[in-house]
Amino acid sequence: MTCDQLAVVVDNDRIVDITPAAIEYGITLGVRRREAQKLCADLQVVLNDEELSVRRFSSVIEALESVTPRIEITTGGRCSFPTRGPSRYFGGDQALAQTVVERTVSVLSAMFETDEVPNHIYPKVGVADSRFVAALAATSETSSRIQVVVSGGSAAFLAPFPVDVLVAKESPLSEAHDLVDVFRRLGLKTLGDISSLPNQELVARFGSPGLLAKQLAQGIDSRASLLHSISNVVSEESEIDPPTDHVETAVFVAKAFADRICQQLAAEGLACVRILVEVETEHGEISSRLWRHERRFTPIDITDRVRWQLEGWWKSEMAPTGSLSLVRLVVNETIPDSGCQLGFWGEKTANDERAIRSFTRIQGLLGPDSVTLVQRGGGRRLANIEQKVPFVAANFDPNRVVNLPESTDAPWPGRLPVPLPIAVLTQAKKLEVVDDDGRLVRVSGRGHMERNPAYFKSECLGAHLIIGWGGPWFLDERWWDSAKKIRQARFQFLLDNDTSHLCVIENGQWWLEASYE
Amino acid sequence: MQNAPVGVPSLSDMPQISPPAILAQHRTLPVVDELAGLFTDGGIRQGSTIEVTGVAATSLASALTIAVSRFGGWVAAVGLPTFGPSAASDLGIKLSRWAFVDHPGDQAGVVIHALTAGVDLILVGPDVKLRSDHGRKIVARMRERGASVITVGKAALCNLRPDLRLRVTQAMWTGIELGHGRLTSRKVEIERLGRGADSNLRRELVWLPNKEGRLNAFDRKNKPVNLSQSPHRVSKRLFDIDESVCRAS
Repeated sequence: MTCDQLAVVVDNDRIVDITPAAIEYGITLGVRRREAQKLCADLQVVLNDEELSVRRFSSVIEALESVTPRIEITTGGRCSFPTRGPSRYFGGDQALAQTVVERTVSVLSAMFETDEVPNHIYPKVGVADSRFVAALAATSETSSRIQVVVSGGSAAFLAPFPVDVLVAKESPLSEAHDLVDVFRRLGLKTLGDISSLPNQELVARFGSPGLLAKQLAQGIDSRASLLHSISNVVSEESEIDPPTDHVETAVFVAKAFADRICQQLAAEGLACVRILVEVETEHGEISSRLWRHERRFTPIDITDRVRWQLEGWWKSEMAPTGSLSLVRLVVNETIPDSGCQLGFWGEKTANDERAIRSFTRIQGLLGPDSVTLVQRGGGRRLANIEQKVPFVAANFDPNRVVNLPESTDAPWPGRLPVPLPIAVLTQAKKLEVVDDDGRLVRVSGRGHMERNPAYFKSECLGAHLIIGWGGPWFLDERWWDSAKKIRQARFQFLLDNDTSHLCVIENGQWWLEASYE
Repeated sequence: MQNAPVGVPSLSDMPQISPPAILAQHRTLPVVDELAGLFTDGGIRQGSTIEVTGVAATSLASALTIAVSRFGGWVAAVGLPTFGPSAASDLGIKLSRWAFVDHPGDQAGVVIHALTAGVDLILVGPDVKLRSDHGRKIVARMRERGASVITVGKAALCNLRPDLRLRVTQAMWTGIELGHGRLTSRKVEIERLGRGADSNLRRELVWLPNKEGRLNAFDRKNKPVNLSQSPHRVSKRLFDIDESVCRAS
């Protein structure tokens, strides 16, 4: 098919691609097939065949693999890669982009057997700080086919773009049509308008998607900063025995893997955005490709990628000589699954958005530190175990991990035994513990007590008879550091009014630290 | 009813064609089985105020939030700067669904008012003072939004009128003696006093906490029982499932 034919590509009853000749009839992207046919009766409709386009695209990928090995394929016709290493090698972003264009053009001209690659399939390259900006730079209507956005210049580059680009195919917000609609009606026409809004108000009004929109508009790759390291790399591999020549057999194996991987990630609250698919034949030939998804891979998406890769490999010039013997899937980039789905017990996400909004409101009243959340670390003293961190609506994750795993799992000899006290004083209060004759109870350096505690006197709690006590338990922390060292003995006291308290003695002074209320 | 025009059903048909009305008193926030006996409706009525007093008031108040925080609801603690989250987490609450406003100062009324729109349960500390007109406004808003308030300490002190009073009448620690042992578990007796349908006195015995720091029902043989093994507690299984979800995430 050539560019002067009247044709459109249709996916899901919507136009996704148009030939230049058809554009002249007024057909635009995104309209329904019927509407397009109404405008132009003898329009040729081609169904979108992702598999075919990926297969055709794989020869471009092969050519680009001589530039960098880490190419991530998003769809047939679109790929991305980190430029830091290759651009240093090729002498700058511009030179790298030039190389990419040259190699792609040589492949395309071989494929179409022409010297002159037609304009509409000429490769376009964008280089920028984040993937979203680079994609925009590559697809934007400019005279040059290579557009390099200087480092740090993303916000300025993005400012004139209309808000509609937020729902473009390569954007993480591509499903948030409602949000963009509201932006437009509020008079926020360009990305520059959005990035000038204050964070707090944006979150209060639109919740987390609003903030993501702002981050995109500023050229901040928020998703990159949220990258989670998976506790143990999620990967699945299996040998196919006996080796098979049928692509579908391998795809079937991969489907089971994909289900398992997605399940495992969901249990950790994560979603996969980049996956490595590797297939090996019994002759040791390997096909290995990185696939990227802008939002998240579902098991079906993963299976599709495996099929495309295998079909492409099978029908390429470098087709394997042996039968397939091994399939391997490795998830190598994930993001927190921020609730594209409803919660387990109903609308959890709506619930969270409501709570976030009211917390933001209180922060507006009392200041940013007024609303706190708990973060638990490890330690021997309660003050170390429990830390309150200010609530920040901007990077709030309702399913965040409260217990810092490295430090809470570690053994802390000498830590408080469970049950723990539920009322922990922020500032320890002085108190006196005396024996039957009114003499102060002391503990020697070796843990020896000359007198038994009998009465408990404190300003806030009054004087009480001690009816049970346990201790002393010693705490000797940081003895090597004269400024921070702590040497104290802990006691538990049960008083005659049924209250119980955790007290410490340090340098002969008694302190009330916490109560078991 | 023969004169009724076509299309208008007789009154007796109404229950079949209209969805059953849910009265405010039937909308409840979940409470774990161990404490459900204290509530006539089996849970905390939405929009109600509960006063928790006595020795183990803070523990009891946080035990009341266990089910809400685990089932995806939000809990906020206002004016409870001494609250020890670790102990509460051992009791079974899900800390990731708790937020704290430690020092609301003289803005307490506005803070609680704002929270009623966003969270399901609000714990109010003993030092929080509300003006009487604030108290009324908050109660009206709680009814509208379905949020409930638990006051740790006397509710009257912050100008709220409790619908339900829970008082820890007895607390007995085990494991500690004069000079040996340590605090291991506490048996508490909780007494319920309410208004209207809740006006009959109810008592419940629980371990708060037991040896592992958890909330546990108390059986008369003076032993903490493992609820998941007792057959008559069917709804407990829901809770178990949720626990495994929590552990996995």
